[in-house]
Amino acid sequence: MSVTFVLNDKSTTLNAPDDKPLLWALREDANLVGTKYGCGIAVCGACTVHVDGVPTRSCVTPCSAIAGKSVTTIEAIGSKSPGGFNAVQKAWIEHQVPQCGYCQSGFIMAATALLEKTPEPTDDEINAAITNLCRCGTYPAMRAAIKKAAQLKKAGA
Amino acid sequence: MAATKRFAKTRRAFLIGTGLVGGALAVGATLAWRRVANAETFILPVDAAKGEAAFNAWLKIAPDSTITVAVPRQDMGQGIYTMLAMYVAEELDADWSKVKVVQAPISVIYGNTTLLADGAPAPLKSVMVTVSKVLGLQTTGGSTSTRDGWMPMRMAAASARSMLLGVAAAKWNVPFSELTIEKSVIRHKSGKSAPIGEFAKDAALLPAPKFATPKPQADWKVLGTSPKRLDVPEKVNGAAQFGIDVRPEGLLYAAVKHINMVSGTLQEVRWKNGVVPKDVLHQVRGSDWLAVIATSSWSAQKALENVELIGGGDNATVLSSDVLTARYNEILDGGDRGVMPGSRPLRREYANRGDAPKLIAAAQKNQVVEAAYSVPLAAHATMEPMNCTVRIANGKVDVWCGNQAPTLLQWLAASSAGVSSDNVTIHTPYLGGGFGRRVDLEVVRQALACAKRTNGKPVQLIWSREQDMRHDAYRPAVSCKFTAVLGGNGTAGVSAWHHKLVGPSVMKATAVRLNAAAGGDFPPDKTNCEGAADLPYDFTNFKVDHAQVDLPVPLGFWRSVGHSFNAFFVESFVDELAFALKKDPYLFRLELLKNEPRFAKVLDAAASAAQWSAPLPSKNWGRGIAIAESFKSIVAQVVDVEIINKKIHVRRVVSAVDCGTALHPDNTKAQISSGAIYGLSAALNAKITLKDGRVEQGNFNDYPMLNLAECPQFETVIVNSGEPLGGIGEVGLPPVAPALANAVFMATGKRLRDLPLSLA
Ligand code: FES
Ligand code: FES
Repeated sequence: MSVTFVLNDKSTTLNAPDDKPLLWALREDANLVGTKYGCGIAVCGACTVHVDGVPTRSCVTPCSAIAGKSVTTIEAIGSKSPGGFNAVQKAWIEHQVPQCGYCQSGFIMAATALLEKTPEPTDDEINAAITNLCRCGTYPAMRAAIKKAAQLKKAGA
Repeated sequence: MAATKRFAKTRRAFLIGTGLVGGALAVGATLAWRRVANAETFILPVDAAKGEAAFNAWLKIAPDSTITVAVPRQDMGQGIYTMLAMYVAEELDADWSKVKVVQAPISVIYGNTTLLADGAPAPLKSVMVTVSKVLGLQTTGGSTSTRDGWMPMRMAAASARSMLLGVAAAKWNVPFSELTIEKSVIRHKSGKSAPIGEFAKDAALLPAPKFATPKPQADWKVLGTSPKRLDVPEKVNGAAQFGIDVRPEGLLYAAVKHINMVSGTLQEVRWKNGVVPKDVLHQVRGSDWLAVIATSSWSAQKALENVELIGGGDNATVLSSDVLTARYNEILDGGDRGVMPGSRPLRREYANRGDAPKLIAAAQKNQVVEAAYSVPLAAHATMEPMNCTVRIANGKVDVWCGNQAPTLLQWLAASSAGVSSDNVTIHTPYLGGGFGRRVDLEVVRQALACAKRTNGKPVQLIWSREQDMRHDAYRPAVSCKFTAVLGGNGTAGVSAWHHKLVGPSVMKATAVRLNAAAGGDFPPDKTNCEGAADLPYDFTNFKVDHAQVDLPVPLGFWRSVGHSFNAFFVESFVDELAFALKKDPYLFRLELLKNEPRFAKVLDAAASAAQWSAPLPSKNWGRGIAIAESFKSIVAQVVDVEIINKKIHVRRVVSAVDCGTALHPDNTKAQISSGAIYGLSAALNAKITLKDGRVEQGNFNDYPMLNLAECPQFETVIVNSGEPLGGIGEVGLPPVAPALANAVFMATGKRLRDLPLSLA
């Protein structure tokens, strides 16, 4: 009935049933509401967090699966960068990506993970890695922002 | 808590030489001014401890010169917070980094008078403006927010400007006319300067000037540029609060399940093995739903997996989409059976010039072109599912809900909880997508019912994605038939155009959903035939008929409403006529637009940006064009497609938009592509179908939307005509489906007449 893991760099124990999806444990038990519910079936990516650095859809990840692991959410993804925004977030601001904003946490988590693995992604690599959904259609700005973030990252941002 | 500052009759009165007092005013300006100067509605809360000074209902200024703008509209991604703040920043020559926004409280002064007037039939327009003022309906929709704020908000800031300068002039003992403001600093030519914050308190005590005129466009510094959006930083680090994120003290969670059909009533609740899961604290039963309350929304959701709801009753429906389509076709052919048992279609004429039926009857067969088109039901699928949080405690009601009509929420909450409106506070956080979905109040009704059961504890009701998809207020299914006659001496070779439509009235359905007592025939609904009856094309013999039916399906406003289907019908059929006449579809439209230079200019701009006649990469590619006016803006689009194994890939969308003047060009472009992408999802993939009264789709896997990989390249050209402002939030949608279908025709020779488009 409880799970211990590292949450945004802090060891954390949440009082949550084993089968409770991480998404709901974050939103209800850890009071971190930046990670969003969109579909609950791993299709939209609004709930994306990093588990040991790997982008993971938290709506289908039971708490039991994260015991002892390290989870990073949107609230902390920029915490180690100057100004509190990482390269992806900075590029997102520069390109004014968000509209309603609801899907954006998930996209930023997915894009951050992509650039960790593939610092200069091609369009095809972007297409393959970023499968999240945005109903507001912010894709054109997003593609430009991912490329910009790659540059910023290379320059050390 | 901020105290509410009321207008004080004892304001220190000294006259200011503003020179802003107008002579004879246009009626519109006078009306707008009433929304600035009406002392009774001076209701912007100010934090007196911080020394904030409110100038009118629209803005306040702090000692550190921060300007806070009251925005009575809801931001669902369209950028309206930023847009309305720009009006104020412009008139005050403000430092953009010191401009903030707050959600305005509910008041008649903030009512959206443009929205109701737009929807009203012409003779009723002025009545509707008055009605909406009296009712003070604070709504966001119809792409009206920018237009509605245009006069009053600029006037409000111009008025504050004159008050600030009046005080500075008195303090410095210099003529008012020698003062200017630059980046929130008041300057005199002598070199004297001080930030506006230093004068704010005194200035706010002045009586407002009798009238204030906004700057002429030639003097604009902010409008027409693209300052950074105010909401973006908090939307990249998870800090932006949506309705689903609010966490009032002691929060409980609820989940809801509806009966398994789109209309009917709940007859019986059957828990598995007769056992209610122990996580369920309360069960709340509604007319066609059951909600359960628990300490977690996940456990509430899980509990509902164990219950079967039996629906039935007099209004239960077993309608299937194929039956609906067949019935529509019957009605288009003159049949007199409606969709609801025992009902008949209500036939009305929405336009009639010349004598199209006579020409059609007399025409040779080979001169006649006929075609039938259809669109299915469509869901909004906002990324944030429906949710609402309510607390009823100590005679007060708090509602937290991303919504498009706070005034309606306030009425509903007051009547449901049996308190006066004064005791209801509506908190409107960011909306995780709106598109017309959040005008509907069903989730609010349910959350209110839940909150009555929890002894003062707040409850957050969240619909699962499946409930959201299966119980939306849908864009209606609509079908139509065209008959045109070619030849004779008609415009551009078309001598008659007859368009017959069948579908429900969204206005009527919405009114009935809001208030079951509403009913009857209802006046003609402009949304039925918007974009069909009011074409820019000058057909001499022109007739548009509509057969209105009631459907047993909840319906609502879906991004661009009637334009979402009528542009598809009209612009596809115009293309058919071009090909029948062996004319280039772009040039044919230009010919039809010979008396509409504004439209022709937009069409030209799109065609030239897209290099309309430039060759395509290979013969499985196609290029299509379409144009539509909606919400007082004109958009033309050119779409390039590639067909691979019968699958349609959209490669490029080039748009030209004339919304009068693009006040924030980057946002105008973002909204045009946003609307187009929403339209492409509907044109390519998304449809809601009914089987025996039940929606067959349930989540994004079977109601797919465009993703990053499928998203085409976008290019948008702005045509500033200087005509009165038009909307931008919806206008990128209407022409995209027909431009796409026209491109598919060019690539394949196949005319696709039903959405979603399919070559399979
Ligand atoms: S909510 Fe997890 S993928 Fe959609
Ligand atoms: S910004 Fe609204 S869903 Fe992506």
